[in-house]
Amino acid sequence: MRILKGWLVWWAVTTVAMAQVTVTVPGAQKRSFAVTGFVGDATLAVRVTEVLKNDLQLSGYFSLGTAAEAEFIQQGTVRANGNHCQVECVVLTRATRRAVLSKVYSGSQQDLRRLVHRISDDIVQTITGQRGIAQTQIAFVWRRGGAKELAVMDYDGHNVRQLTYDKSISVRPRWSPDGRKIIYTSYKSGFPDVLEVDLYTGQRRRLAGYPGLNTGAAFSPDGLRIALTLSKDGNPELYTMDADGRGLQRLTRTRGAESSPVWSPDGQSIAYVSDDRGTPQIYLIHHSGGEPQRLTVSPSYNTEPDWSRPPAGSNLPPMLALTSRVGGRFQIGVYDREQGSVRPVVADGADNEDPSWAPNGRHLVFTKTQQRRSRLYLLDVLANQQVQLPAVDGDASEPSWGP
Amino acid sequence: MKSKELARITMMVVAVLVVGSVTGCKNGRWIWQKAPTTAGGSTTSETSVPPLGGTDIVAGARPMAMGDWQRGEFQPVYFDYDSARIKPSELVKLQAVAAALRGNTKRLIIEGHCDERGTAEYNRALGERRAQAARDELVQLGVDPSRITTASFGKERPADFGHDEAAWAKNRRCEFVLAN
Repeated sequence: MRILKGWLVWWAVTTVAMAQVTVTVPGAQKRSFAVTGFVGDATLAVRVTEVLKNDLQLSGYFSLGTAAEAEFIQQGTVRANGNHCQVECVVLTRATRRAVLSKVYSGSQQDLRRLVHRISDDIVQTITGQRGIAQTQIAFVWRRGGAKELAVMDYDGHNVRQLTYDKSISVRPRWSPDGRKIIYTSYKSGFPDVLEVDLYTGQRRRLAGYPGLNTGAAFSPDGLRIALTLSKDGNPELYTMDADGRGLQRLTRTRGAESSPVWSPDGQSIAYVSDDRGTPQIYLIHHSGGEPQRLTVSPSYNTEPDWSRPPAGSNLPPMLALTSRVGGRFQIGVYDREQGSVRPVVADGADNEDPSWAPNGRHLVFTKTQQRRSRLYLLDVLANQQVQLPAVDGDASEPSWGP
Repeated sequence: MKSKELARITMMVVAVLVVGSVTGCKNGRWIWQKAPTTAGGSTTSETSVPPLGGTDIVAGARPMAMGDWQRGEFQPVYFDYDSARIKPSELVKLQAVAAALRGNTKRLIIEGHCDERGTAEYNRALGERRAQAARDELVQLGVDPSRITTASFGKERPADFGHDEAAWAKNRRCEFVLAN
């Protein structure tokens, strides 16, 4: 009886949470903003201006224009002091000439981009009340030659750092909610294992190395549990375990393969892929197991779910992005619970896959493959705008947007 | 058990051979590196992992000695698109594998592979199901399941780098690797 009650509550909560998907959201309306640039050190000013314009454009909240027309006007100064620099940034409303932001930022010149990302996030926060994404990072799979290594870059594709040097296959990175760890699937042992890398210490350890398949690991929103796919007890099934690999618990028992788990924003349920009833489709299950509920029906191939977690204060509902296969091509879609259907959001004839939400719940990073080259793109879901990130040598795929 | 002793001895030999060095895979396409003791690959922390399986598991334990792997002894088993069903045409290949495992204690690694037309993680699961389908067939043919380990590579290692049906058909496969 208690179990049934718990189930009803869970069902009600997820139903309500997902019913909001079709709500139209303010924020798609862009505010006009003029970046007038910076006085002082001319060389640095050019770089700061360029990064700030790019950040504000990528944020999706602004259309950049001239000071004569814009609602907001940015002014500032840059001073170089040896290896350090100091940037003062002021943002005024054109109508009242009142400063809504006035702040001094300092840092080393090597970290100039990071410093400007801080400015950009402050501007976004001040004007929209929403959390910016300019200081976030993206992990991805970097293929050069025969090997696939993990790398991390800033959200705008700059400042790429390679994480692994295994000359093996490292795939499907996922961040811990605190941004400290990345868990991923490594073939370093010759078999697929789930490893964890601590970004602070560089320490790696194996979290799951059972016989057969160990892959698809994803942290719960509180960072305490990990959902993953294992095949040690039969065909690929879903499990959860503690963040240190202990406390294994099996969730599914099917004849098909379960893969790609992602936690709901409230941590109560897990969406995943199963081909138990034919082609791969998205299902939902309570985090402690039970009867799965099928979400998607068409298109005939839906995989790679990623559930957005909009921050507190966001107007956006949680959204479930996925990769469909239509007409022999991969396209990114968003599942609409009310309609029970998948709305395509990136369907342009190229292969688009691996959607991963930004922490703002508005932007996606994904892989676009054209002429056999895979590159990472950002999508502003509200503005429906794609931007290609600066390309790395070789191919980039399976991105995961950090917290 | 004999195979356990053998595995232990092989592990010791290999451990001596690979300290600080690189082992090459038989097919020459991939070079596998042992865990470096620096640059984050702390071997001490890698030993503090949960116990790997137990006696009640279905899957066989993994052979550790990659240097002794024999590749290419057997015909790959091919599959239909998005399917893990063993086709009647492929049964004779599995019978050959089962016959070769009789009268010795060799271990078998079954690698499951997919064509490029599935998404990456789904293909990892599909490749595992293919390897398991081949394993189940071998068990039917009398092979002890504890001698078999599965390894899915999804679409990471195509046999044919083409992008047409002829290439895809060669890539939807299981490969068999013998390990001492």
